Amino acid sequence: MLDIGLTIFNGLSWGMATFLVAAGLTLIFGILHILNFAHGGFFMIGAYLSYTVMASIGGGLPVWLYILVALAAGIAVALMGILVDMVIFRRLRGVEDAYVLIATYALLLVCIGAVQLVWGLNFMSVMPPPALNSAFFIGDLIMPTYTLFVIICGVLVFVGLEVFMSFTHTGQLIRVVAMDSWMARLLGLDVKRIYLITVVISFALAGLAGGLLSANQSLSPELGGVFLLQAFAVVVVGGMGSIRGAFLAAILLGLIESFGSVFFPQYPGIYYLIALAVILLVRPQGLLGREQTA
Amino acid sequence: MTDFRARFWLNLLVALAGIVLFALVPSVFNRGVVFLAGLVAINVVFALSWNLLFAGVGLLSFGQAMFYAGGAYMMAVLSLHVPGMPFLLALLVGALTGGAIAFVFGVVALRRASGTYFAILTLAFAELVHIVITKTNFLGRNDGLVGIRRPVVDLGFTEINLGSGNTYYYFLIVAMAVAAFALWCLQNSPAGRLMQAIRQDPVRAAFLGADVQSWKLIAFIVSGCFAGFSGAVLAPWVQIVSPEIAHWSLSTQPILFSLLGGTGSFWGPALGAVLFGVMDYGTRNLQGLADLTVGLLLLAVVLAIPGGITGLLSRAFARRRIGAKQTAKLANGEKAS
Repeated sequence: MLDIGLTIFNGLSWGMATFLVAAGLTLIFGILHILNFAHGGFFMIGAYLSYTVMASIGGGLPVWLYILVALAAGIAVALMGILVDMVIFRRLRGVEDAYVLIATYALLLVCIGAVQLVWGLNFMSVMPPPALNSAFFIGDLIMPTYTLFVIICGVLVFVGLEVFMSFTHTGQLIRVVAMDSWMARLLGLDVKRIYLITVVISFALAGLAGGLLSANQSLSPELGGVFLLQAFAVVVVGGMGSIRGAFLAAILLGLIESFGSVFFPQYPGIYYLIALAVILLVRPQGLLGREQTA
Repeated sequence: MTDFRARFWLNLLVALAGIVLFALVPSVFNRGVVFLAGLVAINVVFALSWNLLFAGVGLLSFGQAMFYAGGAYMMAVLSLHVPGMPFLLALLVGALTGGAIAFVFGVVALRRASGTYFAILTLAFAELVHIVITKTNFLGRNDGLVGIRRPVVDLGFTEINLGSGNTYYYFLIVAMAVAAFALWCLQNSPAGRLMQAIRQDPVRAAFLGADVQSWKLIAFIVSGCFAGFSGAVLAPWVQIVSPEIAHWSLSTQPILFSLLGGTGSFWGPALGAVLFGVMDYGTRNLQGLADLTVGLLLLAVVLAIPGGITGLLSRAFARRRIGAKQTAKLANGEKAS
């Protein structure tokens, strides 16, 4: 018999974990029009960094410290973002789409290579904080606290981003540039600085996601690619550049993947890809994308 | 068209020179290098098949591995389950498998999507193929298929035993040279010209009566066939196919080769594949350094020399030629004044 509650819970878990990675990805695409392959790489670096910090502190971390470490990883990766924007992204303005994609892919390779050099090829794992290592029971439904924690983090990041984009001055400036960067420059806005801020936020989100999700899986240099593909699907389905769209798409694809795996357990991991193809055929611009983004 | 005839013979000569150079490898180097050289020869066609899309019709495919894996797995399955099948026929079926996969996914990916969307869709479809392979018992799941034979080929008048010594290696380089030259002929045929027109200006091409979508699909299928063919030749060479050859990191290999060598010239991707093989061999013992060097190199190529090595060379030649012309003009001018 199908356990609908558990299936939905699993879907949300998939969705929010993916959204944590996709948030920064869709942000940077919305403003800079760069589809950043390297996002997966910096996500992975964030996970490894927080692994190192937590391993040196020792086991049995309180939850607040776990979050603090993840935030620190976010800041560290954001600093790398400054460098990446100045050295690479600035040179990619006005370059053909294909070359931009390839350049960020090259950067992903650099990230993977750096991780291999620093941390080696072996699998590593982070224990979740003891407080997150139990489970809630609602009737028959067993919900691991760590999974619940990830879902809450996903929602918080979404709400935080929405508030930031709607109510802060910087957020509003970013939206102005997203709408029409040429006009924004004409009106005297420092577009270059806004690009830099966007890149920094996006990279911080990648690092934060890495830190928050580091306890969820064994760390290996493959990690970046796995999440990247899911995040790509979420960004494309949501409508490239739309944070709200990515959030909706994350939930939708998570549920599709989760229900698909229940009904057809033979091929887990392909249902969201099939959904991606079908949705793009019906709505090429994505759920909440603007018409002209083709 | 005398110019075309000259270029035809010149490029045929390039293909033949490739055969000769690769054929010299076993007499100079050890078995390990010969094995690597075989892989490089296969990569040449794999890269050229990708560039048929990129430089040909302007499509960026991030899923070339699905055709490659399709060809390789078809070859493996035929070798294990239909041992009586003529080898050359099996190769053809392998190539057509790549084309069939391209047809199925191309119809979907090309209908609405273009540019970045197309790249993501091909990436997603290749991952779909990858996951299906890892979860299907018939295809050996994560372990792959082992024990692929190098058979005896019956050419009617004579028989060639591909299992003995370096025979398969020689067969492989000839097959790859033929495929590469076939691709050259295709790109320089009227159809190839039309494809280039579509890449340069799809709207104008459509205005002139070209069915842009159909031609893109045809290019996608042909590219799939050639990638499938290179995969089919690969299977007996490595004698084991595993799901890694369908992984998306393999899809990015032809992109690396092509950009390194230069997408603007036909043999650019081939040059890139060879250079890459040499580099790979040089860094084979250094864990992690391979990805790092490849990434940095690719980044440098994209940022500094977007035309790749052949682009750099042709620009240097052009500059020298222009320089010569200018000095000639100056000399003439001085005479006149």
